[in-house]
Amino acid sequence: MAEVSGGNVVEMANIYKTFPGVKALSDVSFDVRQGEIHALVGKNGAGKSTLMSILTGLYPPDSGTIKVRGEVIEHMSTHRSQEAGISIVAQHARFVPGLSVAENLFMGQMPTVQGGFVDWRLLRKDASERLERLGLDIDVRKRMEEMTVAERQLIEIARALFADASVIILDEPTAPLPKHEVAMLFDFVRRQREAGASFIYISHYLEEVFEIADRVTVLRNGAEVGARDVGDITQADLIHMISGENVERYVRPRRESVGDAVLEIKGLHRKRAYEDVNLILHSGEVVGLTGLEGSGPGELARGLYALEELGEGEVTLDGKPFHPSHPSHALEEGLAYLPRDRHGLGIVAIRSVSNNITMSVIGQITRWLGLIDGGREKGLVKGFIDKLGIKTPSPKTLVENLSGGNQQKVVVAKLAATEPKVLLLDEPTQGVDVQAKVEILRIVDQLTEDGVAVAIVSDELLELIDTCDRIVVFYRGQIAREFIKGTDEMTPARLLAAIEGGAGEAAHAVA
Amino acid sequence: MQWRRYAPTILDNLIWFILVGVFIFFVLGTDKFLTPFNIVNILSAAAVLGIVVVGQTFVLITGNFDLSQESTLGLAALVGLWIFVPAAAPYFGGGLGVPPLLSIVIILAMGVFIGAIIGALITYGRMNNFIVTLAMLLILRGLMLYFTKGNSVNAINYEGSDIFYWLGHETFTLPWLGNVPVAVPTMLLVFLIAHIVLTYRRFGRDIYAVGGNKTAAIASGIDADKRVRQVYMISGFLAALAGLVLAGRVASVQVNLGEGYIFTIFAAAVIGGVSLQGGRGKMLGVLGGVLLLSMIDRGLNLMRVEVFLQQVVQGLIILFAMFIDAQRVRYQAPVAEDQPEGDDSAPDAPATTGGGAAS
Repeated sequence: MAEVSGGNVVEMANIYKTFPGVKALSDVSFDVRQGEIHALVGKNGAGKSTLMSILTGLYPPDSGTIKVRGEVIEHMSTHRSQEAGISIVAQHARFVPGLSVAENLFMGQMPTVQGGFVDWRLLRKDASERLERLGLDIDVRKRMEEMTVAERQLIEIARALFADASVIILDEPTAPLPKHEVAMLFDFVRRQREAGASFIYISHYLEEVFEIADRVTVLRNGAEVGARDVGDITQADLIHMISGENVERYVRPRRESVGDAVLEIKGLHRKRAYEDVNLILHSGEVVGLTGLEGSGPGELARGLYALEELGEGEVTLDGKPFHPSHPSHALEEGLAYLPRDRHGLGIVAIRSVSNNITMSVIGQITRWLGLIDGGREKGLVKGFIDKLGIKTPSPKTLVENLSGGNQQKVVVAKLAATEPKVLLLDEPTQGVDVQAKVEILRIVDQLTEDGVAVAIVSDELLELIDTCDRIVVFYRGQIAREFIKGTDEMTPARLLAAIEGGAGEAAHAVA
Repeated sequence: MQWRRYAPTILDNLIWFILVGVFIFFVLGTDKFLTPFNIVNILSAAAVLGIVVVGQTFVLITGNFDLSQESTLGLAALVGLWIFVPAAAPYFGGGLGVPPLLSIVIILAMGVFIGAIIGALITYGRMNNFIVTLAMLLILRGLMLYFTKGNSVNAINYEGSDIFYWLGHETFTLPWLGNVPVAVPTMLLVFLIAHIVLTYRRFGRDIYAVGGNKTAAIASGIDADKRVRQVYMISGFLAALAGLVLAGRVASVQVNLGEGYIFTIFAAAVIGGVSLQGGRGKMLGVLGGVLLLSMIDRGLNLMRVEVFLQQVVQGLIILFAMFIDAQRVRYQAPVAEDQPEGDDSAPDAPATTGGGAAS
């Protein structure tokens, strides 16, 4: 069991896996060295999750070998995988929110005193000491739900380390995190690497791969494209490996003129969300709304769509007062919203692609007696599948069987079907692969050509710069600054300064 | 792994395989099963059960429960009877003597009213549907006991009794089968309308969406709360209709009318393919579940299985139905969260296309 630093902890060789009708993995080899952070990247559906499910013993491979520290493990099961020190930290950490950090850390193995009662003293002492040793300063008496998302992830990694895990799989750990917490997570992961732990890092954010990983393995369509040292390649190389073609990023052509004002917001105010918001969206333009998590743009979008309270102030859509009390009213008035949380608010996973696309407009495609006009529905659905390039075996396929990017396109189709005048997109490219990202942004551009006013809420600055005519930066609930396309003001650095410091700081940065 | 591939299709249509199997079993196992008398008996039992289960199915598809149905069924029939019988009748200190047709309308309205109360408590009151309907189950049954003081009420010889009881009592003649109660085609009509509403109207699409993912349904502009109130009203309406049929069949209202029925109702829906998680289920399957349970009930009687043992069998059927439900969830879940898209050559539909997604 003597571990040579840098030796392979995990070796998966020639793995094949077929699901009914789908070749999920073919001849994939993957290894992880001791004390390295190894990124695993690829489009949605490339086989990353399947490979990791095989490593964690969730599914057996059809053929291939798995070695952990040189030992071949036959019939991998979740139990054996854990025994071998492999642990997965899922995107949404699995905790009991109402229990304390200490209890969550030692779930199933609480120290007891005589009579089987929990030894609370020892539990807390143990928990905080061990967290401290990992360099974490967390009050273990606090309830899990009081922790931030990043803290929860750190705790989950710690929990895995306590359980003697030496290979930890991080599945899209940063997706739910605001930017400053990402740094905290990375810092922690690096320190644990120095202590000898190995990490498998799954992510769609390629910048992060370069920031944190030592090596990167790329999967495409269930096959291995190759493993590289991160230092040896550029981001363009990596994108090329992932997509199999040279995808340039999407740059939306600049529009010379925008149309009339469609949505006008004057002096809008909501407690603990935003104040004195003045904003006008014009027909045919794309406006970016950005800011730190909780600084206002997401709240504003959800408020306008009546998912949250809108607050007080003057809002008009096409000149008419607009104060919806239910999303259905907002849709009737012509304002549609693409939610950030695709699984929670976007799709109905157990319904078909067709049913999802027509979900908001089904009442309008009816004949006598309110019966649904099947022919018209089919035509409408087919039109969107073609126009948006939704990859689905059939319109009747359940949405849960599509990849993330295609699920997102289904949501976009559902909104586009309502023929909105204003379209609010909340993090539309989150958890979506590079290719689908570009396609989705292209669809947005098409919509603006038809005169839709689009607002994108996002903290992907490069994407906003490439797509938007204007970018509005929120700071602590107020609009701090506005950047116009075509001016040399609109740079990532200046945007970032405004996002993190508001208008005053931004002025500093410019000076 | 062929099983995984065909599992969803088999599980979705399992009811018809079982139905045929059980039918053959009883035909071979008893000599009286395949007689007109017996078949008519099964169909009449299925008529009452079927009407209630359709209502329950609407509720289940939205991801809610209606435990109160059996009490609604009893109370609506009782109240209807009370307003129908003349003032001179020896019950409740005299009835109201309302004309029979109007009484029937009032019974049905009462079912809708009870459903509306339940729906309001759940949606406006933000109360748990299970507990609300459980409380209603007790309240309505208790009211019934209170009004009747535990006696059954019998109203066969008043003017208009034949109209009042028509739905449960009237028969028509078919070759071989003989006299079939009108309740049987009524039940089939209820299923047909329910099927059309579920599949071809916005209402159906909406409630599947609400049951599949309530928050996404709301974000798609569906008024989920309104839909929930509506399904409870439908459920109450159909429970009352079934109460009317049952009252007509036995020409009286017993205080325990419908008692204990809720288990059979759930079993029929779940065996018929309705998921208790909401969002899945079809009327055709439910009809199969109704026929199956009615058949088993009758068959066990013919085989002279002891009454108490019959309860054990019913319990086992409910467990079996839950087992099927669990399997359905298990095998309809995506096989892997990231299946390759396969660029232009779209892969075969990953196994579940035949599922609950018919449009």
